[in-house]
Amino acid sequence: MSPVPGNSPQLQSLQGNQACALGAIAAGCRLFAGYPITPSSEIAERMSKELPRVDGVFVQMEDEIASMAACLGGSLGGVKSMTATSGPGFSLKQENIGYGIQAEIPCVVINVMRGGPSTGMPTRPAQGDVMQARWGTHGDHPIIVLTPSSVQEIYQQTIQAFNFSETYRIPVIVLYDEAIGHLVDTVELPDPKDIETTDRKWATGPAEDYLPYAPDKDGIPPMPRPGDGYRTHTTGLTHLETGFPTQVPDDVTRVTSRLLDKIENHRDEIEQYELLSCGDADILIVAFGITARASERAVNMARDKGIKAGLLRPVTLWPFPEKALQELAGHAKHVLVPEMNAGQLILEIERLCAGSVPVSGINRFDGETIKPNEVLAKIEELNNG
Amino acid sequence: MSKTDGYEIRLSGTGGQGLGLGGKMLAAALSSEGLHVAQSQSYEPTSRGGMSRSDLVVSRQTADYPLATGLDYLLILDKRAISISEGMINKDAVVLVDEELVPDPPSGHFKVHALPLSRTAISLGNLRVTNVVSLGALIALGDFCSIETMEAAIKQVTPKKYAQMNLDAVRAGYELVQH
Repeated sequence: MSPVPGNSPQLQSLQGNQACALGAIAAGCRLFAGYPITPSSEIAERMSKELPRVDGVFVQMEDEIASMAACLGGSLGGVKSMTATSGPGFSLKQENIGYGIQAEIPCVVINVMRGGPSTGMPTRPAQGDVMQARWGTHGDHPIIVLTPSSVQEIYQQTIQAFNFSETYRIPVIVLYDEAIGHLVDTVELPDPKDIETTDRKWATGPAEDYLPYAPDKDGIPPMPRPGDGYRTHTTGLTHLETGFPTQVPDDVTRVTSRLLDKIENHRDEIEQYELLSCGDADILIVAFGITARASERAVNMARDKGIKAGLLRPVTLWPFPEKALQELAGHAKHVLVPEMNAGQLILEIERLCAGSVPVSGINRFDGETIKPNEVLAKIEELNNG
Repeated sequence: MSKTDGYEIRLSGTGGQGLGLGGKMLAAALSSEGLHVAQSQSYEPTSRGGMSRSDLVVSRQTADYPLATGLDYLLILDKRAISISEGMINKDAVVLVDEELVPDPPSGHFKVHALPLSRTAISLGNLRVTNVVSLGALIALGDFCSIETMEAAIKQVTPKKYAQMNLDAVRAGYELVQH
């Protein structure tokens, strides 16, 4: 997009999905493999234009399964890789996302949420993939899911997703609704030289001693750079430090625990959230994406009426910022979870609050966003109740 | 949102009427004056014939909520699009409708202006510039954007081949109100 005349050169009119593509390029993404699907297609479209300019590769694959596989292959080849999709495509990618988690392959998966299940409502917004993003692939596994709520933040969180994926050797999912993805807003992109990017740890030391899945002290094994002479083996089977399969119970417990712990033990570095008027909040709202924006307005309107409402907006949806929620909920009289689904995030909030405070929801799954007035009405109802 | 904070504009009708492009032109114009503009669209999977709208939330800073909640300026180019804005038209809002395509416009605490928008476009030789004729009329009625700023934005957004046609259209729409 060309800069808006009359403003600083960095201020521009940008669509959420376009911001995602630009963030990916800024993060160092040089391979995009995808299969266009509404409402994510603008990401693929923009990547097809941007990647050739930076000597990157854009490839439209035959389907979403192959797209995910190509991302994994590209990343193993040493290139930061991304794919983008929506509900039906996200379902197809799940097996290979699991492969990426098991084989510890950094990559970024964008899921722009539309109405479901199945082909559902292609052009309508929803937030129905909260639990799929966490548990879509089978087996015990860690995951990182980031959920931006503005065009500006889509740009930032796409960069963050690459940084996390490289640091922790894991597929990172960026999850946002159609309303944010298709929003065109006036944004100010940072100067490229101010953007921090992270690259994976490469293996060093004698090649003959190299074990591809032997972790450093941080629980994360360095990756073998192709051509550096390190022998490696990549498999979706549960594997030892050598990379070869095992089914020995003690070994399986050790390597799978390490897989889970590498995220669990770094929660403090991973968890991100934003607080609005939470200091003395009686009514604590927990919301993300476009619903967090509606809640932000509702909190401001409630405060104008003298009602003590506050908003906790998780930026990392998974792992969920548990401690922050528990601390705030401990002082609240009620927790409210508006979400554009039939009640998914609320399950996690109820689990974390463990009966210490009443939790209620506002739910829409009709293809419409939750409006500020709906959130305000519920805040007032809870305040009077 | 009160008008002191900012205002909200909706262009509505059916798919194929160029409402998305109209929104883009308007956003380019308002952005060029240093305003923050959040644009959103709604459309059906079928690209033509279905309900379509293009919303702009205009403010000095980034809006807390970027989607339309109370409309200050509303364009309706098809009677099927009336229902989507019911209950969200602000008091004293400016509502502009095509007098042929919207024979029975909404009524309430707002001013409705029925103008020959599509007929003006046809007289210019192309029904498809109804969107731009409408923009000209809307800024003349609403007084939130000068015709010069709008013309500059149209030049910026439109491919060269169609620039003059669109400039003629926005001027014709503007003059529909001025005269």
